[in-house]
Amino acid sequence: MTKIGLEIHCQLTKLESKLFCSCKANYREFEPNHNICPVCMGLPGSLPRLNQKAVESATSIAMALNCQTPEKIAFFRKNYFYPDLPKNFQITQLNVYGDMSVGGEGYVDVEGKKIKIRRIQLEEDPGRLIYEGASDRTKITLVDYNRAGTPLVEIVTDPDFDNPRQVRIFLNILSDLLENLGVAEPGLEGAMRADGNVSIEGGNKVEIKNIGSFHDLEKALHFELTRQQSLSERDIEIAMETRHWDDRRKITISSRSKEEDQDYRYFLENDIPWVKIEQNTRDTLKENMPESISSKKERYIHKFDIAPQVADIIASDRYYSQLFENAYSEHNAKDIANLITTDVIGFIDTKEKQETSKITPKHLSDLIDAINAKTITRNSAKVALQEIVKSGKDTDRILKEMDLGQVSDSSEIDGIISQIFEDEKQAVIDAKERPETVNFLVGKVMQKTKGKADPVKTLELIKSKLNQ
Amino acid sequence: MNLNTSILKYIEDVKSGTFTVEEFTAATLQRIKDVDTDVHAYLSLNDSAINDAKKIDQKISSGEKIGQCYGFPISIKDNICITGTKTTCASKILENFIAPYTSTVVNHLQNEDAIITGKTNLDEFAMGLTTEFSAYGPTKNPWNVDYVPGGSSGGSAASVAANECLASLGSDTGGSVRNPASFCSVVGLKPTYGLISRYGLISYANSIEQIGPMTKTVKDSAFLLNIIAGQDVHDDTTIDNGNANYLENIENGIEGKKIGIIKEMTTSDGLSSEVSTATKDAINDFESLGASCEEVALPTIPYTIAAYYTITSTEAGSNLARYDNIRYGYEMESEGYEYNSYISKSRTKFGPEVTRRIILGGFVPSAGHAGKYFLKALKVKSKLISEINSAFEKFDYLIAPTSPVQPFRFGEKIDDPVTLMLLDYNTVTANLTGKPAISVPYRVVNGLPIGMQIMANSLEEKSLFQAAHALETKTKLPEVPL
Amino acid sequence: MVDEEEIIRVAELMKIDLEDHGEHVSRVKKMLEYFDILDQIDLTSEEITSQQKSLNELRKDEFIPHDKKLIESLKNFREHYVRAPKMN
Repeated sequence: MTKIGLEIHCQLTKLESKLFCSCKANYREFEPNHNICPVCMGLPGSLPRLNQKAVESATSIAMALNCQTPEKIAFFRKNYFYPDLPKNFQITQLNVYGDMSVGGEGYVDVEGKKIKIRRIQLEEDPGRLIYEGASDRTKITLVDYNRAGTPLVEIVTDPDFDNPRQVRIFLNILSDLLENLGVAEPGLEGAMRADGNVSIEGGNKVEIKNIGSFHDLEKALHFELTRQQSLSERDIEIAMETRHWDDRRKITISSRSKEEDQDYRYFLENDIPWVKIEQNTRDTLKENMPESISSKKERYIHKFDIAPQVADIIASDRYYSQLFENAYSEHNAKDIANLITTDVIGFIDTKEKQETSKITPKHLSDLIDAINAKTITRNSAKVALQEIVKSGKDTDRILKEMDLGQVSDSSEIDGIISQIFEDEKQAVIDAKERPETVNFLVGKVMQKTKGKADPVKTLELIKSKLNQ
Repeated sequence: MNLNTSILKYIEDVKSGTFTVEEFTAATLQRIKDVDTDVHAYLSLNDSAINDAKKIDQKISSGEKIGQCYGFPISIKDNICITGTKTTCASKILENFIAPYTSTVVNHLQNEDAIITGKTNLDEFAMGLTTEFSAYGPTKNPWNVDYVPGGSSGGSAASVAANECLASLGSDTGGSVRNPASFCSVVGLKPTYGLISRYGLISYANSIEQIGPMTKTVKDSAFLLNIIAGQDVHDDTTIDNGNANYLENIENGIEGKKIGIIKEMTTSDGLSSEVSTATKDAINDFESLGASCEEVALPTIPYTIAAYYTITSTEAGSNLARYDNIRYGYEMESEGYEYNSYISKSRTKFGPEVTRRIILGGFVPSAGHAGKYFLKALKVKSKLISEINSAFEKFDYLIAPTSPVQPFRFGEKIDDPVTLMLLDYNTVTANLTGKPAISVPYRVVNGLPIGMQIMANSLEEKSLFQAAHALETKTKLPEVPL
Repeated sequence: MVDEEEIIRVAELMKIDLEDHGEHVSRVKKMLEYFDILDQIDLTSEEITSQQKSLNELRKDEFIPHDKKLIESLKNFREHYVRAPKMN
């Protein structure tokens, strides 16, 4: 039986400051080594100061993943030497004197299967290393400490995954969940990383580290399974070891290094007192948590009669669900939802576009009102949307400026139909013989009116004209 | 100018115009010039001390608001950071480290217009009991320059004892303020753990160490504590002291108080006869002051040295890991080296004692050995805390001589590691339990000082000062011969 | 009895070069042997404790920029990065 487990690291980039100091949590906008202070640089005499909101965010994550959360949490030192570690130890969490990391014993439902979450811990990210030149001839390692001290939540699962596909679905669910909670931005580069462990029937467990992205994770898992499969077929023992993912050659390589002998000498981080998180504090955190994705989805389906796939798309994305929640009213919820999933998504399909788009909930409700009042056609609405996203101008203004008002006057449409009948004599003959080809003519009318003609009326009028 | 004065008397004299701040500062600096070649208390001096003094005199004459310190001269142990100054921890590995920020305690002093005279010598990274482990040469005891001043805050103690300043800030991990205080005949306090901010104190064993004032008199110690104690945003381990005024009621005395004489610290074989006699006399003095004295046993004490060194070496091994010479340290080009060999080479700059403690600190918490050493040490700590808390239910104070022996000659104890460790026998208890403890100069025998140690319960510094002050009134000490 | 081989291995882990420090091994060994005294005390009922704080006593989540020049005052900094020896 294949068993895959994951170790996911997620940066809490929505926090203002790092885990143990007041430098910025999201370091990406800074010049190298300009987001540092004595604390995150581990200067002699500096002391860590725990970020309250980081503990709250991590506890919320634990709750969202159905974990137990303890009454007190503690921090530990993991001691090892590496240039990206300013203190040559990392402050992290461990469950050595009882359960003292932010959460444990939870689960996530992946297509009916419960993937167990073994534990969740808070820890600090190290800095970043850049290797100058090609690896063999590198004389120097360049270090940027901007990232050192960034708050990380580490999520460790049991080896409950049966295959890489489940892993992919799980990671999507997890990303959406974390984004929905408002604590992380999984789409940011480097904000979420995962390592894995793999074993096949009768084989030892192999850890895979140094995986850069979720895309690489899936590749690495497939490769590793294949590698283990072929060893097993030849009756060769699968060594219990740590391997790292070589992104260039797309293979896993044994890390038979001193890493194996590494003794981290874990002990309590005494500069940080144990933090009591009382039951009422945890209750308040739970109450104040944003509505979960599954709860939103249920609500959309049952309250607004929205189709499940549509509900799924909107509920899973924080940006769209916020847009929806602020746009809908009693009578147009379903329409708004459909507009989002059919058209809006096409124009705002990346996180960057979500940031720069100028669309507001009012635009959506105005558009739906216009469509329902037959002031514009669905097609025109689509054109208008593109402009709205770009410029954010008032819906009315755009409709006027772009002359998108629906043409629903029968005589006007009639006139255009006559013109088309003149131009497309062959199509008219085809339509008389085979009624299903009438849409070509409808299309021509829509083209001529730049999509503004009322399609229902147009079809009606064409049909009656054909029958004449 | 009489430099053998107290902070409080100095302030009175400045206020009454007996002398100016500049005059006293100049005299102090001259004193340093005259004696420090022999004493070697200082590693570096503050070039702007005279200018600082002039500014304060100006403030006084113009009626501007003056900080409580009125420009009294204070030295700072060289493991405490001051912006723009070399902070070496008496190590070669920090030879060129210039602190880019100032510790909270020095900030407090500067805000209250104290004058920093310079940074004082210590055992390298505060690991030692005699200041013989300084990479820049030892400090001499002003009472007899062939003898050790104690450690690790030997420079701090000597600078006060030799009248090279009126006070000093040292640090105490296992007795490093109290031990040299006893050896140099000055008052040395280790406060309750968490009372004084450690932000800017270069860590050795962060779970138990504290900065401590070293002064000529008990009242001066209380005065200084008022300035530097209190909760600090930069240090999560600091606790709320309710803004206590430690000078208040300091002369109340100890009538009716109950004193426990710690059996294990006053009757062990390690005690010299002079220290033993002095202790008996101190007990008589306490009783004549109206307290009742009774022996109390703390059976965990014989295990405290092993526990202390296990815990501190573990923490030191971790706290000193950052010294890999990559971000700060001394000059050594990294090009051409491979990472691991660069680090190992640069860390050969650690002195012998620090090197040994780091090795110990890698051994005792390691996966295969933690159960036998480190975890047991932590439990000894817990057990000791319960024991001492029980004792404080019965007693107001616990006493013992600060050091089992008087100061000894250079080189005498440094060769046997176990003998050396045992010099801390009477002092580590206060660190392991977090309780406040003070060493009061009690006697000078054959020209060598003996101090008495008083411990009180957590956050009971006011009461502690009362007992220390009372004992002080019973002592008549000679002046330092230097 | 503490194994000297192991002391040497630990020193390497702690990035301590023991080439000239043979004396250190014997002193460390002596200290470790003294620590055997810890085996003689009954510690079965003892628990590890620590200082405690409640959640709302912790530092508030605020970005406070530090002096931009900090990196320039530390050594080995040249053209944006800290230069460390090459990794294997």
